[in-house]
Amino acid sequence: MNHTRRQLLAGGIGLFSLASCSRDELWSAIAPGETPASLVPPANAELDLASHVLLRTSFGIRPGDREELSTLAPTMEAAVDAWLAAQLAPEAIDDSACEHALRRFETLREPIGELFEYRERVLRRDLVGATLQRAVMTRHQLREVMCHFWSDHFNIDISKGECAWLKTADDREVVRRHALGRFEDLLRASAKSPAMLWYLDGRVNQKSTPTDKPNENYARELLELHTLGVDGGYSQRDVMKVARCLTGWTVRDRKGFFKGRVEFRRELHDDGEKLVLGERIASGGGEQDLERVIAIVAAHPSTARHLARKLCRRFLSDDATGLDEVASAFTNSRGDIAATLAALFAHPAFRDPQLRGAKLKRPFHFVASCLRATDAKSDCGPALIEYLERMGQAPFQHPTPDGYPEHAAAWTGTLLWRWRFAAVLASGEIAGTRIEAAALSQRLDGAAGTLAQLLGRAPDAAELEAANAAGEDALALALASPAFQRC
Amino acid sequence: MGERALIVVFLRGAADGLTLVPPVGDDDYHRARPTLAVHAKQGLKLDGFFALHPLLAPLQPRFEAGELSIVHACGSQDDTRSHFYAQDLMERAGVSVSGGWLGRFLRAQLEAEGGGFTGGALDALSVGTAVCESLRGAPTVTAMESLSDLGGGAAMGRLRQRLGCLYESDQLLGAPARSALDASARLAQLEDQGEPPRHGAIYPSAATDGDVAQHFGVRMRLVARLIHGGLGLRAACVDIEGWDSHFVQSSLLEPQLRALGSGLAAFARDLGPRLADTSVVVMTEFGRRVGENASLGTDHGRGGAMFVLGGGTRGGVHCRWPSLRAEALDGPGDLPVVHDYRDVLAGVLARHGAVDLARVFPDCTLAPMDV
Repeated sequence: MNHTRRQLLAGGIGLFSLASCSRDELWSAIAPGETPASLVPPANAELDLASHVLLRTSFGIRPGDREELSTLAPTMEAAVDAWLAAQLAPEAIDDSACEHALRRFETLREPIGELFEYRERVLRRDLVGATLQRAVMTRHQLREVMCHFWSDHFNIDISKGECAWLKTADDREVVRRHALGRFEDLLRASAKSPAMLWYLDGRVNQKSTPTDKPNENYARELLELHTLGVDGGYSQRDVMKVARCLTGWTVRDRKGFFKGRVEFRRELHDDGEKLVLGERIASGGGEQDLERVIAIVAAHPSTARHLARKLCRRFLSDDATGLDEVASAFTNSRGDIAATLAALFAHPAFRDPQLRGAKLKRPFHFVASCLRATDAKSDCGPALIEYLERMGQAPFQHPTPDGYPEHAAAWTGTLLWRWRFAAVLASGEIAGTRIEAAALSQRLDGAAGTLAQLLGRAPDAAELEAANAAGEDALALALASPAFQRC
Repeated sequence: MGERALIVVFLRGAADGLTLVPPVGDDDYHRARPTLAVHAKQGLKLDGFFALHPLLAPLQPRFEAGELSIVHACGSQDDTRSHFYAQDLMERAGVSVSGGWLGRFLRAQLEAEGGGFTGGALDALSVGTAVCESLRGAPTVTAMESLSDLGGGAAMGRLRQRLGCLYESDQLLGAPARSALDASARLAQLEDQGEPPRHGAIYPSAATDGDVAQHFGVRMRLVARLIHGGLGLRAACVDIEGWDSHFVQSSLLEPQLRALGSGLAAFARDLGPRLADTSVVVMTEFGRRVGENASLGTDHGRGGAMFVLGGGTRGGVHCRWPSLRAEALDGPGDLPVVHDYRDVLAGVLARHGAVDLARVFPDCTLAPMDV
């Protein structure tokens, strides 16, 4: 702080007090919040259940997370259950510190028409920065993890068409609103989202003359990626029929009035009869055709299996097959996402010690977990986001509709940049981001304790030896270590 | 040895194609540009009709050796005259597409080679601090300005050895860690060596060629060092800013032209035989108005000039010249776009083994130019 202030004074800027005050406010706004002054590093040689659950269902263990979890119930098993239950109904958890920090990103709150007043780069900076800020700061960690899951599932690349202006609204009104709600609501919101109508060309899917061919792009991805899955038992005929049902849903572009407004234009809709996945949709349905399609695909048994498999790959292991219990929970709850997740977390497979630490953190997860583990204060500004771009996982920039890949093999080429990131973060070289390594080490009682806190378990002999030998680089080494890349 | 590398030099701000490569044989050119035209005697002879700007003299030997192709009256089919929009559009190469054209190219190549998403750490390089639009969507992109951004730093040097031990026996990450450590060590080595440019190349200096030239030279030299270092570079993007010459164009463009000429020539020389498998493409978002304005500058136009250097290019000037008669001009008096820039890029990518040009440029019907 003094450093900043001195620079301002040296620069002879008359408004130094105001400037430094707003800087102070910034640093206090992004402070990660209260954590216990003294911490108890985990002593187990292997990841215990608490560390495992925190690693899998959050963006990394923050100092104090384990302590907080352990206060929820007398046994670790019960405490973990209580923690997961609370995370699945996060409205009760106070998240005002995170909300406060997010107020800096003004464009997040703009109604859709107003978004067009901003330049693409400003919107991208805010949306991407806020996404990282949330992952680092929110106490609704599981919901945030699910927001990322759905952002991949309903991938939208902001470099396409007008998505740069519209994704902010999609993120707010589709993904975040329904992340732990009902899948059918999420799906319907996505189908009518202006950003999705741009990204998968739904807006140009229309039939105004008998020879017009519908644009099948969205219909295909709706079945292949969003619902039934590639082997879900639909045919090319179904894709065409779904596309016909969705003709006429369009979005006003930025060249005229009511920018970004979604409209159903009956004159562009194919109002004939259609047969979708064996169900008859009568002619003359108009805009109700969309409702019928969403209801049919959301309730299809293949959708339950497809989502169960994807959730299991996210929370169990890269090559997991979908657990039947998870698919049944989805079906029985009529697509309640929280209930589906609860079934997954209650399953013995989720607690299997063999699978602990077996997944590779994707780059975004890695960066967020570095910031969380070190109690960093960060403005999540361009200097930090740059590292995500360099590691190939800046939010909302995956070009193809399948979203950023989940499996580890896709990300093993990013080590060099992870190490580099670990080194610059530990040495405080990233503008707008800082950590207090000495204070952290003191709270954790030295290098061994820091390492245990970061890894979620006691370090092994090789790790300890390397950390001791690394001296002042111990923190960088720990963040760059193979164990810290995993979750 | 090594991969074929494609280097894209983007002239930001709309470089005036009629100054880079003046059509000295067209009388209408001299009429439209009474003060700014390059005279036939000053211009460096290319094919008699077109000349090269005298400040691009360092490139003339490359043209004579058939290593430099020039495409004139080329650009984007979109008639926007906004820099920002035109650059984005050109780098994405389409409206309804995701990512940039180089990003899509690299992804298609890696998938075809069975590499999935795992490219090498240094496959694609954006020289600067941020990833340029053209490279978005590539499997991996590295943005860096100097070798020390990634390879060096005392901390990385110290970490390398210890990381080697920790990753050694890791089943999933052991092999990628070895390759990353290797790349990192080689970068550090390149940094330490401080090896002079090869083949007697001399990169521009601020003292003799100006700041813009030195800046560009440093960036091109970084690219050359990575190519010589055998780090697997496949694509790199380098920018030269500052081509928006609305006022007093000749003095504004002088340092720019010097930078382009001396920087590219030094790079070509530095590469030596490697120039044969390295393509350099020089492009800009659009050209400039044919007629000069009242402040001795030129305003935003349409068609411009593109250069392709090395990489097995055919050499020569390629253009169906539309003439500069008033009735041939586009909109407010602009050189029309006769050749789509994507056809030029497609021709170059074909020499780089592109497996799926339709995926790289999905938004148009391609007619790749063999230049």
